[in-house]
Parts: sequence; C-alpha cells; structure tokens
Amino acid sequence: MQCKDVAQVIEQQGFSPLPEAARGHIAGCASCSALIADFERIVAAAVEIPAEVEPPARVWIALRAQLEAERIISEPRIAVPEESAPWWQSFRQLIRGRLLATAAVALLVAAAGYFQMNRKTVEPPPTEPFAAAGTRLDQEEMSLGPIEAASLSDVSPVDNSLRENLATLNSFIKECRKRLQEDPNDQVARDYLAAAYQQKSEILAAMMERGRSVN
Amino acid sequence: MTLSPAIRRISASALVSAMGAGLLLMPLACLAAGQKIERHFTVKGRPVVMIQNVANGRIEVKSWKNPEIVVSASQPSNKIGLDMEQADNRIDVTASIVDSSGQESELTENIQLTVPEETELQIKSQSGLIYVEQVLGDMTLESVGGDIHLKEVSGYIIVKTTGGTLVCTLCGGKLKFDSVSGSAQILQPSFTNVTLYTSFGNILFDGDFIRTGIYSMKSGRGLVEVRFAGTDSFDLNAQTASGTVDNRAEAFLKPDSHGIRHSASKYAKGLFGSVGNGLAKVELSSFSGTIRILKRD
Repeated sequence: MQCKDVAQVIEQQGFSPLPEAARGHIAGCASCSALIADFERIVAAAVEIPAEVEPPARVWIALRAQLEAERIISEPRIAVPEESAPWWQSFRQLIRGRLLATAAVALLVAAAGYFQMNRKTVEPPPTEPFAAAGTRLDQEEMSLGPIEAASLSDVSPVDNSLRENLATLNSFIKECRKRLQEDPNDQVARDYLAAAYQQKSEILAAMMERGRSVN
Repeated sequence: MTLSPAIRRISASALVSAMGAGLLLMPLACLAAGQKIERHFTVKGRPVVMIQNVANGRIEVKSWKNPEIVVSASQPSNKIGLDMEQADNRIDVTASIVDSSGQESELTENIQLTVPEETELQIKSQSGLIYVEQVLGDMTLESVGGDIHLKEVSGYIIVKTTGGTLVCTLCGGKLKFDSVSGSAQILQPSFTNVTLYTSFGNILFDGDFIRTGIYSMKSGRGLVEVRFAGTDSFDLNAQTASGTVDNRAEAFLKPDSHGIRHSASKYAKGLFGSVGNGLAKVELSSFSGTIRILKRD
C-alpha cells in the first residue's frame, strides 16, 4: 500500500478501524503518520468547539408549520426546547452517542408497539391545526411592540407596508381558523393557514430586522 | 502546531485563494451628497451580482455583450452610504442608511447596472421598482414594498415580496413567486415550472402551457385567472374553499383524458378536466377568491 492508497482508504472508510495493510504502511511511513496525527488533533479540536447557537423561535415555528402542513408531524407541540425540561435535556445528552441513540430508538419503537397494542380506542378530541405555532407567533408579535415604537420617529412606507400586511394576514388567519373550526378536515383551508403562518413569521422577522438596523 | 505536508498543501492553497479574494475585496466608494458615481468591473464567464438596497429607490439591471459590469448610482443626500466591491467574479453592491433622521426623499438610492447577458442576480430591496431586462441566469429578487418587473429574462427565478407586484413579460425557465399582498402577472411566458402564491393579490397567467410543464397558482383572497391558447394541452385541477370557480372554457375542457376521476373534497368546490391531451399539469387554488379560466382571443 502507498500513501495515496491510505488517503483513499481514509476518505472512503474513515479512521476506525483502518485495514491491516493501511496500518502497516502508516507504521513505517513518517508522512502518513504525521497526517494521521494531524487528523487526530483536528478531531480533538473539533470536539471542543462550542455547541451551535440556538436558532430563533420563528425558524422553529416556520419549520413546524411546514411539517404540519405536509402532515409529517401532527402533535400540537413546539419544537423549541423548554427551559423547565431537565429530564428532556438530560435525555438529549444521553442519546448523543450513536450507539446509545440506536438503543434508545429501539426502545422507543418497542414501547410504541406495546402502547399501540394496548391503547384504548378512544380518540383524542381534534385539535386546531398549528395552534401552538400560532400562539408562539402571537407572542412574538406582542414582543415587537417596543421595537416598533423605538423606530417610529419617522414611520417609513416600508414599515407601514409591513404593518398593514401583518394586520391583513392576521385577519386571514382568523378566516382560515374559523373555516377549520367548521370543517376540521378541510385540506384547502389547512394549506392556506400553514402558508399564512409561514408568511407571518417572515414578516415578523423582517420587522425585527428593520427595528435592529435602525436602532 | 505543525501540520503534515499533505494538509499544509491544502492549507496553503486555501490561504492563497482567500488572500487573492481578499485583495479583490476592495470597498470602492462612499458617495457624497448629490453625487453620481460609475464603476466598471471586469468579469469573466457568468458573474454573480448581489445588490442590497436598505435605502429606498429603483434598481435597474440591463445586459450587454461585454464581459464587464457597470454600476451607476445617484443619491440625493449623504445620509446614504454606498459600497461596491469585487471578489473575483462576484460583485457586491450595498446601499445602507447612514443617518435615518433624514426625510424619505433623502433616503433614496437609485442603482443602474449593465451586466453580461449571462449573469446571476441576487437583489434585495425595501421599496422602489426592481427592473431586470434581457438577463439569462438564476436570480433571487426580494422586495418589501417595491414592484418587480422582468422582461425577457430566463433562468430559475425566485421572487419574494410583501406588497410588491410582479410583472413578468416574455420570461422563461422556472419561476417561484411568493407574496403577501402583491399580485403577479405572467405574460407570454415560456416557463416549464411555475409556482405562484399570494395571500391577497391577484394572479394572471396569460400564455402557453409548455408540454410536461407544471404550474401551480394559488391566491388566498384574490383572483386567479388563466388565459390559455386553443392549442394548449394540460390537465386542470382548480379548487376553492369558499370562493367561486368561473369556467369560461367549457367548450375546451373535457373529462380528464387520463381516466383519473377527480373530485373536490366535500369541503371545497372544484373543477377538473383536460384541455387537449392533458400533457402539462395546472393546479389553481383560491381560498375565498375567484378562479377564472378562459381561452384567450
């Protein structure tokens, strides 16, 4: 095996476990030994990089609205981590390792199967689509108050446009929700409600951005 | 920390590229009040032009045959800062508000560009018209309140507005439009893929449906109007929750030619059928507005 073969093996298979032939070559090759040592240092340094910054709530809301619109998920729960959820945080820590995660998924599948076989036939009452996302967006809208007021010294047409469109979107959201209360399975209304929430989250983001850029 | 020769080679090459790009990243101008400025950038192949106009004002992009980008700008006051920079084949133009205490008329920056025919564009504006003519390349155009007019452009075109209206004449490629209250007029297009969504604006599609093309047009409260040619061939699926479907093409609309039995959900009103052999796919939807379909004269 030659140096380029070792590089190819690393590229295709990763580090562990390296084939016997590759290990043999590395043991006698200063260049490849140095390469492996460098990679080990890079991996060690990468582990110490701090965790990613939590994205803003609106990103989760938009994502959730889209997933619910596509019926990929259905539980009325927001994907934003709760502050008062220590068991969940510790669970997330626990499943960081791939092996543990696999075991955890297997356990969840088994548990889900058990509950599926033993669950009672009573269906939960229908919940309003995207209710949690809507509540969250309303909260964000409320929190915009001070930012808007701070930038109101000279209200520009752009700010006016954003505000007017937000008000109209809110009325449209009401209209879609009313329709869904009457016909919870109306897919057309559901699609429009999801799109309206998506647009509302984008308008709120734009208003926040303008508030920040002016102040 | 010493690195092996292999990694040093990679690092050195990356460093050289970064330094090369850095040398080209030269902020070129910040205008004085009332001044008009013009900058020329030599490019090769298919350049990328990014414009961000945080101020108000019109952005106009036209093309020519030369491998050069010309940026002209004028501003009425020194409350606007304008920066231009070139990084190899990418040109960045940014207009920003330096002093927001000025009158609306002082916070205006009009920008004109002449670019090679094949150019990619990313334009973000607050208000004021964005006008693009005879440019071939992917483009993303965003505006809060400004209208967007496109003429003879082609590529993957993404347009996003809050209240601005899109007028697209003689355009081709793929189009994606999303707006809260802006309308969209697609005139004489040659798009193979169209996705239009507006919550409160109107949609007008006046042109041919390309065979195998996919067209989706949705408006929450507005009018969705499609004017097709007698020679067109498409499957139609039109649905509204509480609006109306105005079918003025009964003579052309036959039951689905592929034998699929469509039906609107019990909560919606729908219109389904085929024109010609049903080769393209057309989906029209409105929550509470009107869907109108007619053959054009």
